Amino acid sequence: MENNIYIPDLARITRIETVTPLEKIFDISFIEKEAQKKFNFLPGQFVELTVFGVGEAPFSITSNPNNKDKFQLCIRAVGSVSKAIHALKEGARVGIRGPFGKGTFPYKEAKGHNVLAIAGGLGLAPLMSFLTYVMDFRDQYKNLMIIYGAVNPTNILYKNEIAYWNSRDDVSVCVTVDNPDDKWTGEIGVCTKLIPRVDFKPDDTYTIVCGPPVMYKYVVVELEKKNFKEDKIFLSLERRMECGVGKCNHCHIGDKLACVDGPVFRLWDVRNLKEAI
Amino acid sequence: MLYKVIKKVDYKEFVSKLISDFEFIGPVKKDIATHDFVRINDFSKLDINYKRTTIAPAKKILFPSTEVLIQYEIGEDIKISSVYEAKEKILFGIDACDVNGLSFLDRFFSEDLIDEPYFSRRRKLTVIGIDRMPSKTNFSLSMGKEYAKDGFDLFLTDLKDRYFVRVGSEKGNGLLSKYAITSAAGDEDFKDYNKFMDTYRKSFKLKADVANLYDNFEQVYDDAQFWKKIAKDCYSCGSCCLVCPTCFCFNVKDDMELNLKKGNKIREWDSCMIPEYGLVAGSHNFRPTKENRLKQRYRCKIKTFADRFGSNSCVGCGRCIEACLAKINIAEDINSVKKEVSV
Repeated sequence: MENNIYIPDLARITRIETVTPLEKIFDISFIEKEAQKKFNFLPGQFVELTVFGVGEAPFSITSNPNNKDKFQLCIRAVGSVSKAIHALKEGARVGIRGPFGKGTFPYKEAKGHNVLAIAGGLGLAPLMSFLTYVMDFRDQYKNLMIIYGAVNPTNILYKNEIAYWNSRDDVSVCVTVDNPDDKWTGEIGVCTKLIPRVDFKPDDTYTIVCGPPVMYKYVVVELEKKNFKEDKIFLSLERRMECGVGKCNHCHIGDKLACVDGPVFRLWDVRNLKEAI
Repeated sequence: MLYKVIKKVDYKEFVSKLISDFEFIGPVKKDIATHDFVRINDFSKLDINYKRTTIAPAKKILFPSTEVLIQYEIGEDIKISSVYEAKEKILFGIDACDVNGLSFLDRFFSEDLIDEPYFSRRRKLTVIGIDRMPSKTNFSLSMGKEYAKDGFDLFLTDLKDRYFVRVGSEKGNGLLSKYAITSAAGDEDFKDYNKFMDTYRKSFKLKADVANLYDNFEQVYDDAQFWKKIAKDCYSCGSCCLVCPTCFCFNVKDDMELNLKKGNKIREWDSCMIPEYGLVAGSHNFRPTKENRLKQRYRCKIKTFADRFGSNSCVGCGRCIEACLAKINIAEDINSVKKEVSV
């Protein structure tokens, strides 16, 4: 049996959904049943996806970990690999390595507590693996609040899920946009603006954050104003990754690696990592 | 450890036999200033008395600048396979800090997950080290890497009329039994060996004060002025990484043949000093300035692995000092950290 960590398993794109002008959601299943069976991921982990002949890039898994027959990636066409993925059709074959990352969202630790999710832009996608998991075991968590900021109404991701959350009385959702259109009746401005309104008890709340690099600093400042605890705030950090397995070193943050030690870090750890946020 | 002695007259015979029976790689003079580790077919080409360092590090034998990680063929099915090298090789004439450099890479590429492309070569490599007097830029004594206690199969120390041989593995011992006339080392041999090692350790001119560096480095890390000064002349060329025996960063690329049926996933050396290193899709660069990059390189060399492995990745070979076009000197910069925190 091959034990080369750089060999991907073959998988097939089974469904493609265009969700915004920039992003598509891809359903992916492994071709070999064995590979599908052994692919068990945790909320916050990522995969390395190969488009044969083009290259490999890391993507956070955005689907529910309880769904065992496929997984989902939400991909923005912005780099060479992601653009090549967008050009693929349903049925296309890709290579998958992973799941990777020891740093995951606190899906166990947060049980019995409030959960606050803060997402900026495409940052909502990595949080989806955690949020769908929480929804599966909704009674095991206390209050759930989701704050999501998008650039404009057309760029809002996961509109169906947001509508579903809105329809439930055990989830509160606040969506805000930077640039509203004529029809927009919701919040306007960056997502940090909504944090002061959160009325969860700091000691009893787990916060998960994902967004563009510039966002974290401002979110953290707002959370600290409310006395949220450093060891109960989790940030999913993005870096350039070439290998996903702690060898190529591109994703180093201070003395740690985003691919192995992250990609989700506790704020307490981030404080001790230079230039993390 | 087994200790043996091989007479100088028998040494030539021993090495010549190794050259004829194996793919033998050793230091060869390339031009007036540089040596390189290359394949040797003739004993006369071997030059272990290289005064400076071999500018290319020995790591290239195990971790080539470009290599195929996997190859694939796209048809009805997609066939993916590994490409491993199968040849037994001997790497001869690397010094103690380079042996320590290889040991670092051995540990790095086996930590957590085994990097099979690296270890497919490592398992088939016999390492024969040799003590040499330090070059001008070698500060391995300061880094605690001037002596190799393992990571080799045989390690030779020149005692004028004979070599003192430390036998590091069964494989090394097997080579001696098959190809060399040796005797067990006696008190006289140990006495001369100790004398050599004393002289050797006293010959290091360049020193780096690493006491308290672990904490002091963090202390100066956010001092923008300090790092501006240190990185002032850096060209972001990446030479320091290319010559480093412990730099391991690489890029992974797909490379398709013209028929679009066969392709390779290859890796090639990368350098954290190059601006594109921290660039992600969408044009955000996590290390936009040369100060960002230089201090991160230093972190990786003199801090990160003190945490992860209990000892720094920098072995103090001094290659980066020789290779740097801007005359950036890591040993002096380590001393600058100390100076900065003392004022």
